[in-house]
Amino acid sequence: MQIRLEDVRKSYPMGEGVLRALRGVTLSIERGEYVVFMGPSGSGKSTLLHLAGCLDRPSSGACWLDGERVEDLPDAALSGLRNRKIGFVFQSFHLIAQLDVVENVEVPLYYAGVEPRKRRELAAQALDAVGLATRLAHRPNQLSGGERQRVAIARALVVRPEIILADEPTGNLDSRTGDEVMELLEKQNARGVTLVVVTHDPEKARRARRVVQMRDGLVAWEQHSDDEGFPHGPRGAAIQ
Amino acid sequence: MPWSVDNVRIGIRNLLAHKLRSVLTMLGVIFGVAAVVSMLSIAGGARREAVEQIRLLGTNHVRVKHRELVGEAREQADQRGSRGLRRQDAAILTEGLPDVDGVAPVRFVDATVLYGGQESTGHVVATDEDYAHVTGVRAREGRFLSPLDVRGAKRVAVMGADAKDELFGFRNAIGRRIRIDDGWFTVVGVLERRNVREGKEAVVEVRNVNRDIFVPISTASIRLPDARREGAIDEIAIRVDGDDRVPRTARIAGRLLARAHRGVEDFDIVIPAELLARARQTQRVFNIVMGSIAAISLLVGGIGIMNVMLTSVTERTREIGIRRAVGATQRAILGQFLMETVVVSAAGGLLGIGLGFAMAKGINLFAGWATVISLPAAGLAFGISALVGVVFGVYPARRAARMDPITALRFE
Repeated sequence: MQIRLEDVRKSYPMGEGVLRALRGVTLSIERGEYVVFMGPSGSGKSTLLHLAGCLDRPSSGACWLDGERVEDLPDAALSGLRNRKIGFVFQSFHLIAQLDVVENVEVPLYYAGVEPRKRRELAAQALDAVGLATRLAHRPNQLSGGERQRVAIARALVVRPEIILADEPTGNLDSRTGDEVMELLEKQNARGVTLVVVTHDPEKARRARRVVQMRDGLVAWEQHSDDEGFPHGPRGAAIQ
Repeated sequence: MPWSVDNVRIGIRNLLAHKLRSVLTMLGVIFGVAAVVSMLSIAGGARREAVEQIRLLGTNHVRVKHRELVGEAREQADQRGSRGLRRQDAAILTEGLPDVDGVAPVRFVDATVLYGGQESTGHVVATDEDYAHVTGVRAREGRFLSPLDVRGAKRVAVMGADAKDELFGFRNAIGRRIRIDDGWFTVVGVLERRNVREGKEAVVEVRNVNRDIFVPISTASIRLPDARREGAIDEIAIRVDGDDRVPRTARIAGRLLARAHRGVEDFDIVIPAELLARARQTQRVFNIVMGSIAAISLLVGGIGIMNVMLTSVTERTREIGIRRAVGATQRAILGQFLMETVVVSAAGGLLGIGLGFAMAKGINLFAGWATVISLPAAGLAFGISALVGVVFGVYPARRAARMDPITALRFE
């Protein structure tokens, strides 16, 4: 899936003022790419991810998904896009505590209108793919952080998305578990799924083929893995 | 989507996950529905009973009753020469009324009935052979009074089922002689038992024919004379040919008798069907009271449910965000929360139906009121409870559906 953003701005009302989260970002992400967004807190990287994932609409500018303008689509159409084409992975896993593991993975399929028996089958397969075949009936609170994130990845994968948007997927995990989670995501990228990861960790950034550094709601710089000094930015600028 | 099995399942699971909270949430609906169900059961019972009683009296019947005049009215009646309701009045009505299927004079005789030294608590009723046809009583054994009995002033008696049981028990009464005041009467018939309800709780007061002992009116006037009112009768029973002609017949009977009594109003005309209407009027008051209780309970119950659902929506903000992120539309979220409210209120409705029937049964046992447990009443109550869920669930569900996904996901 190709994503294209053109002069995208996003502001939020904050108290009596306005928070400008994005101040005019133009970039595109090609089908099958592996891109990491980096930048300090408040630089706008999560906002960018939410816009790319049709979870939010820009205040101005245009967003294209596979050549289709999406920022003005009605709610049902955006929900449909999220459901069919986009898989989200969040830092704090975002599992539904009342549902057990397999039911959590079934949730996107439910909204896709898949019938119950098929749902269970596909969810079990997705959990098997992330190594949790024996944990189907557990509740999220019975799992470790790494296992929870793997359930979240299974939930993202179960609809066979064209793009995975991961917002600090390893932020709450130790480095070894974090690496395992990244490997799972990268395995999907190797299969042709576009992978966009927001992270603070330079080690994780090193694994991507492209790094976009954000600062103050703008793209500060970006580099490809075959650029010199990757991923330290032009003239050795430190990534943050 | 809102009514999908999954939404119902989610609703039931949430209900069971917080049992105490769910029951407390449902209380208002439970009481409201219980009030509706018990009200309908009691109303249904009363209606059925009233209809049965009226059926015993006959919907195609008119009764003319003697009215006892006192003081000035009595003097005026005497001056005009009216001597109250008399046998001749029955003859006037037989001749003068169109569409009449039978007319029977009735006199209630104050007499002592004895058999084998035992006194009966039954009442002696003097009438003629037409009474059976007019009121629909039937002989279980033997026969009713015949024209010959009446014309010949025979000393025969026909006993109601209870009156016979009281004096004879299981023994055969036919052919036996009972003593009424100073005369001996031969029992020629025993009537079929009629299902009559007596006492204060009866919706419409109906004479208990099971306790009556019938004798020919001619015999009574000779053997059991009324010292106060010679030749007088207490009632005329009229059977009309067709229910729809009852009001007209009653009007004409009133006019005929007014002329015969020279304008003295010493009689009342009673239409059993009107008694039913009066009974319904009383019932209506009861229904309004119970209906108001039900409406208030349901309103309070609905508000209670809405309150809990609003809390639930806030508690589950993050869940809503997650669901939206993985593809739930606003409509789907609306449907889910609406369905959850409906599940809570419908569950309350089911419990309320149970409680309502228990209340109806309790009222039946302790107060002696007739109640009818009807499925349509239960269905209606269940429908109302589900409707309460929809009405009071819309606002919380809309609030859930309209949440911004990003804000919902970030909710702590």
